[in-house]
Amino acid sequence: MFIKKEANMKRKLIAMVVTGAVVASMAPTFTAHADTHTVAMICDSSISDGGWGMACYNAMMDAAEKCGWETMYSDSIAQSAYYDTIVSYCDLDVDMIYAPGNQYTDAVLQAAEEYPDIAFALLNGGADTPAKAENGNVSSLLPDAKQIGWIAGALAGLMSDTGTIAFIGGMELDTTLAKYDGYGEAAAYVAEENGKSITLLDPVYSGDFSASDKGLEFAKAMMDQDADVFFGDASAVDSGARQAIDEANEAAGEIKVYDIAQPADLLGQNDCVIGSQVTDNSVLIELSMKAVEDGSFGG
Amino acid sequence: MGSFIANLLLATVRMASPLIFLSLAELYSQRAGLVNIGIEGLAAIGSLTGFLVSLISGSPLLGVLAGALAGILVNMIFAYATITLCAEQIVYGMAINIFAPALAAFTYRVYFGSGSELVQVELMGTLKSMLGIKSDNFFVNLFLDQTPMVYLAFVLVILTAVYFTRTKAGLNYKAVGEYPKAAATIGINVIGIKYLSCVICGALAGIGGAYLTTCYSKTYVDGNVAGRGFIALAAVIFGRWSSGGVLVACLFFGFCDALQIRLQLVNNTLPYQFFQMIPYVATIVVLAIIGAKKAGPRASGQPYRKEER
Repeated sequence: MFIKKEANMKRKLIAMVVTGAVVASMAPTFTAHADTHTVAMICDSSISDGGWGMACYNAMMDAAEKCGWETMYSDSIAQSAYYDTIVSYCDLDVDMIYAPGNQYTDAVLQAAEEYPDIAFALLNGGADTPAKAENGNVSSLLPDAKQIGWIAGALAGLMSDTGTIAFIGGMELDTTLAKYDGYGEAAAYVAEENGKSITLLDPVYSGDFSASDKGLEFAKAMMDQDADVFFGDASAVDSGARQAIDEANEAAGEIKVYDIAQPADLLGQNDCVIGSQVTDNSVLIELSMKAVEDGSFGG
Repeated sequence: MGSFIANLLLATVRMASPLIFLSLAELYSQRAGLVNIGIEGLAAIGSLTGFLVSLISGSPLLGVLAGALAGILVNMIFAYATITLCAEQIVYGMAINIFAPALAAFTYRVYFGSGSELVQVELMGTLKSMLGIKSDNFFVNLFLDQTPMVYLAFVLVILTAVYFTRTKAGLNYKAVGEYPKAAATIGINVIGIKYLSCVICGALAGIGGAYLTTCYSKTYVDGNVAGRGFIALAAVIFGRWSSGGVLVACLFFGFCDALQIRLQLVNNTLPYQFFQMIPYVATIVVLAIIGAKKAGPRASGQPYRKEER
């Protein structure tokens, strides 16, 4: 009986050690140095997604290199972890939190209230968001989403032969809707100028930014409805769409369906990409870093 | 309308195929009394390994095999902890779900660097392309425009059904999940079969993950398994722990997912979230109806202590 208990104890001990090792291997390690400025980025998509996450991460790295800042990041985080992740970085006394997306607004505002000495740069935040921050430590970095849509839409209006164009979104964000609206407006205008008419299919949403298979299925379904120019705002989901378009073009023996990439330059990555709408977010982050350094950040 | 239904059915097969591998993985595990909720994690590591090996070797088939091997290796953590150490299966399954995707993301980051563009690999060819058939007929697309892995998934369903119901080895295997102590008294190697189940489970889950990057999507993205591992758990319950039932469940889930994508396109009055709920609401409804009566292995989730009376 005693031997059996001892054996059970040994097993429990080994189980605890193995559990500890697994948990320890998962724990992130953060180090912030007090003598230099540090920026921490949070992102719900991967920084290697070939789209939004990648472009935003590279923008931060470019800006940090120019300003001599240190960087940290957490990517592929769940919506439920936005606030906790931000607070974890705040507790490490970083100088600036960089949150690239409208979806982080609530978490940023909550953390900004609790950490008045830390700057929060919200890329694609609302124009009225900084006014909601009681401590004045939140800035919205706002590329004009509608203009982004206009650029893509103008190209789509010129290139569409079937008169049907499509848009794939990741989540129904304000900026995504603005891009969709701009895309449709410009496509319709340019098409009319060229004696054509354009139908923009209703926007579809994958619900996240990683599901490239959903992009593939969306694109196939939209091509069934004669869409021949695609624009997206869904990171890796867009890459799935481009795969489906390439396959359709290959089956047809010619490139008849096109895709417009954003926010990084992806021309040449897929045969169907006819252009990229490039947004230089690094300039906005660089300006934020300089504002932090000279104490003028906020608003 | 005909085109809508035809394309919906083709999408159903595409979306159900990886689920079949993952659900069979869970089925083999549960039939040996091990509830492995770590299928999502095993698929994630299989997906990354399959992608990397396919990229390096240029062979998607090697990628699939490597994905299976990676799944087995990671699942050995679960096997050792739950079989030898008799640790809590749910806890270790969850640990695998956190550890394995993190390991995959870390490996990808080390190999390609942070902030890298998406690398693309060549996918496994379909039977239609191998035979050089040009027809776009629905039945040709349904039965021939599939990769060999899709046929393998369906063959595995049949083999699993035969194994569990028509062979002595299969009955012994099931006995381990039903009443391991009784199985041991008639000379069945309970521990051996439990480890074997982890090998099969790891391999199938790894293949399911590798399918995503060698047969479905040309790229690897963190999180590309997208909850399929958890749907596989539901599919096993939905399928009443039989391979035929699991197949029906996977086709049902694939159909619901394909349907929600197409309904978003044809209906602009309801919010898109309503359509995205369809596969999950269907899961809850079906489990509420079918899952009311317990039909799973009786010793499922319970540790087996050889010396205990």
